[in-house]
Amino acid sequence: MKDEPAPLLELAGARAAYGPIEVLRGVDLRVEAGSVVALLGPNGGGKSTTMKVCAGLLPLTGGELRLAGRRVNGLAAEDAARLGVCSIPEGRGIFPNLTVRENLWVATRTGTRLRDMEEAAYTRFPMLGERRDQLAGSLSGGQQQMLALSRALGTAPAILLLDELSMGLAPMIVTQMYDTVAQLVAEGLSVLVAEQFARAVLPIADTAALMLNGRVVSVGTPGEIEDHLSSGYLGG
Amino acid sequence: MTTFLTFTLLGLVLGAVYAIAASGLVLTYNTSGIFNFAHGAQAMLGTFLYWQLAHGWGWPVWLALVVVVGVVGPAMGAALHAVIMKGLRDTADVTRIVVTVAIMLGMVFLSQWLWHPEEARVVEMFFGADAKVEFLGVVVRVHEIICLLVAAAIAVGLRMLFTRSRVGVVMRGTVDDPDLIRLNGHNPDRVAALSWAMGSTLAVLAGILITPIGGGALEANALTLLVIDAFAAAMFGRLRSIPRTFAGAMVLGLAATYVTAYFPTDWTWAGNLRVSLPMIILFVVLVLLPQDRLRGAAVRTRERYRVPTVRRAAVWGVALVAAVVLLMPLMEDTSITTFGLGMTFAIIALSLTLLTGYAGELNLAPLAFGAVATIVAFHFGITGTGLAARLTLWGILLAVLVAAVVGGLVALPALRLRGLYLALATMAFGVFLSNMVLRDTVEHTLFGVTFSLFPNGALIVPPLQLGPLDLRDPGTLLISATALFAAIAVGLVALRGSGYGRRLAAMKDSPAATAMLGQDLVRLKFGVFMLSAAIAGLGGVLMSTAAGSVSGENFAIMAGLSLVMLTVVGGIGYVSGALFGGLMSGVGFVIIIGTFNDLARATPEMATIYQTLGQVVLVATALIGMGVGKNPSGLVHDLFDGYRTLRGARPVLAGGAAAGAVLYLLALTGVIGNWWFAILTALLVMTLPALGRALMPRAVLTEEELARRRSVPPELAGIDEPYTDELRDRLDQELGLPAREGRGGPHARPAVEEGDVHAIA
Ligand SMILES: Nc1ncnc2c1ncn2[C@@H]1O[C@H](COP(=O)(O)OP(=O)(O)O)[C@@H](O)[C@H]1O
Ligand SMILES: [Mg+2]
Repeated sequence: MKDEPAPLLELAGARAAYGPIEVLRGVDLRVEAGSVVALLGPNGGGKSTTMKVCAGLLPLTGGELRLAGRRVNGLAAEDAARLGVCSIPEGRGIFPNLTVRENLWVATRTGTRLRDMEEAAYTRFPMLGERRDQLAGSLSGGQQQMLALSRALGTAPAILLLDELSMGLAPMIVTQMYDTVAQLVAEGLSVLVAEQFARAVLPIADTAALMLNGRVVSVGTPGEIEDHLSSGYLGG
Repeated sequence: MTTFLTFTLLGLVLGAVYAIAASGLVLTYNTSGIFNFAHGAQAMLGTFLYWQLAHGWGWPVWLALVVVVGVVGPAMGAALHAVIMKGLRDTADVTRIVVTVAIMLGMVFLSQWLWHPEEARVVEMFFGADAKVEFLGVVVRVHEIICLLVAAAIAVGLRMLFTRSRVGVVMRGTVDDPDLIRLNGHNPDRVAALSWAMGSTLAVLAGILITPIGGGALEANALTLLVIDAFAAAMFGRLRSIPRTFAGAMVLGLAATYVTAYFPTDWTWAGNLRVSLPMIILFVVLVLLPQDRLRGAAVRTRERYRVPTVRRAAVWGVALVAAVVLLMPLMEDTSITTFGLGMTFAIIALSLTLLTGYAGELNLAPLAFGAVATIVAFHFGITGTGLAARLTLWGILLAVLVAAVVGGLVALPALRLRGLYLALATMAFGVFLSNMVLRDTVEHTLFGVTFSLFPNGALIVPPLQLGPLDLRDPGTLLISATALFAAIAVGLVALRGSGYGRRLAAMKDSPAATAMLGQDLVRLKFGVFMLSAAIAGLGGVLMSTAAGSVSGENFAIMAGLSLVMLTVVGGIGYVSGALFGGLMSGVGFVIIIGTFNDLARATPEMATIYQTLGQVVLVATALIGMGVGKNPSGLVHDLFDGYRTLRGARPVLAGGAAAGAVLYLLALTGVIGNWWFAILTALLVMTLPALGRALMPRAVLTEEELARRRSVPPELAGIDEPYTDELRDRLDQELGLPAREGRGGPHARPAVEEGDVHAIA
């Protein structure tokens, strides 16, 4: 008999490298079901790399990646996606040379219908509906990020990985984005979100983790980590 | 008017078939990033198979079509992707191109093996050449209508696929960002496999449709090159856009028929111009293409080359000349001539070491520059007549100069672009030269001078005379060529070590960074291409004098491609790779096939087996070429690596040298034949490093390798391996037994030493 359920996503002593250069040096991180974990830290700390590892884009060179308690080291990104890991990478997670509609189409899989996908996206972001036949590359930054986020709306993922959602966006749009994320969380989604600038994400986070030089150096409530933040940056 | 309509229609038909072929090429290039030079060869192989089924075995045409287009085409594409293309991740552009070139050569060899090239085969039009329809006074064959309909159907089909189906949209997405495709839950490999299957099917279809249009005669080289014409069409769409590729194909088809229709028949260039037109157009399109963005990141590839010192290179150069001098007494005059010819090929191959190995650019038609130099030397560099005719030094210098200038002109339009385009430009030049210049046997009159570039289809190039040095004697030629090879090779090594060489290497590794550091990339590329063309020209002239008389065949594009492939197989980063590639492609094939033919003649009851073996060798060479993707640094590199480890094992080296000397003496005294001498020596050279590892592991293996040897997992350990504490510990761990007392530190040392003692014993 187990006293508590396994976390939805867990990294234990995870190591990863680009060629000979080791970037993650033993990352420990847990995302409990239904919670929002904010991964904070300065540029170059390894947040995006952690996201890539969780999404299956980069193989682990040591340690373990677990999904719902199962060790899934070496899981391919496409299989992770099918298991319910929805990852929106740094930059714009869209295909600039496909139309809005086609972008949503790519996100569908056997079992999900384009029509449902479109409906979910256009209801949440009516602006996308107006531009459904426009090339995604011609959208504004905020609209592109909405399109990327729409992918999480129609496919009912178990966990959402968001990397620098706020990057290059106006504060108002960022707030709107995180409102959407908060609504998804209320519907039961778990989220791991990496942000260099903490303010946007801390209000919706249950837990925050500070990442420096390829390691998670402290984990706590958003309030605790906010206190750590300045010292962390200086120390890094 | 009717003439115009007729030719327009014929042009559209030709364009339609080009479009089919070219769209397949664009499809695979976009989804997998590999430009498939074997596209034409796939078309060729499919068409031969179709011929075999429909004509050879008399199957109904529809059944043959279903099998070839519906099954073999897709299967061939999917198989190529699964076996070869997937392994090409993280390899340089050059490696990718060479692998597809190797596939192309392998398919040509294979087809010539299965379908003897001297037998005539004809692919007939669908419903026969007499099935015609008249429309507005224009007579159209049913086959031609079918071509148009098929192309239209494919255009519509592809459009539907890419806009109306998810898999098509995913294919387009793969072009944008394969990683994001994976994050969306799709497997880009599967997408690429599908596109290879489709591309291959389109190639096969194009081959079957185009052969009857071109007269019906089925010939492997010609058909392979015919589909290469489609490259020009693909270039119209910058290898990206399928609609523009279709448009380009139509331009190509129309241009070709209009040249036939409207150019004055007494204009002596017209016939050859028509054949060369696609390549000329390819060239023009290249000039007009907008500049590519330089990719930012350094290219991280698996190729690794060490730069030898000039001293070491010089020592090797002297050793090479000495080895050749020693070998000469073993050889008959004809073999010496052949060997000399091979050495001139090796000089041409050195041009590739410089261009590709050092600077990372590719020239797919090195022989074309040899041809240019030969033509110049023939027209302007000969004194005396008849047997007294000699090539002058000035003639050679002029020839080399012109080759360099032509090289510059060929490279110029492509220099702003990525390496692939330069490769395509050189290939276009090679094909153009074969069609336009090397077939230019008719006389023209220009400004009152009557001439033809390639009179009688064969040039007789007399040997060079330099004071007392007369290259008429085959031995002198061989030694001079070897010495020249060594000298250029040492020069190249020196160049690589210089500041200029380092700039080239930087350009190869990261063009963007080099540009940022203020290097003028275009000038750098331009200079190195000219130098490389000059070397190719020099080798080419010498090759022509060594051969005595050369025809267009000597400079055929296929021969050049096989030189490129074998040089890469040998190791493009090293001058020794050029030696291997040159000797193999210049004479290796000739000798191997010749030997098997001799064997076949000597033992008639085994004739078929020997002849088959000869063919197998050819196909096998191409297979090695395809393997370059797995081992991009080359064969010679591996061999040298082996010898580097032998440095500590003097006894093994001495034993090897002694065995070599014994073999040499045996051959010299006629106890063993030359063939056996060659085989045994090759065997000795190749196995010595392995022997060293087996006999003197302590001296040969590095600490790491020794350690790895010791820690063999228990289940893999040989039965005579002593059962060390370390192994016992690991086994305990595997079986989940509790740890024994004192495991770890104190026990580890004795265990290791025990293993060592055993290894020496
Ligand atoms: N594709 C890559 N190749 C090599 N190094 C990389 C690559 N991506 C990131 N890095 C390096 O890994 C480290 C961590 O980067 P990243 O995970 O992007 O950090 P963060 O997202 O926290 O800014 C940095 O030092 C960065 O230079
Ligand atoms: Mg980042």
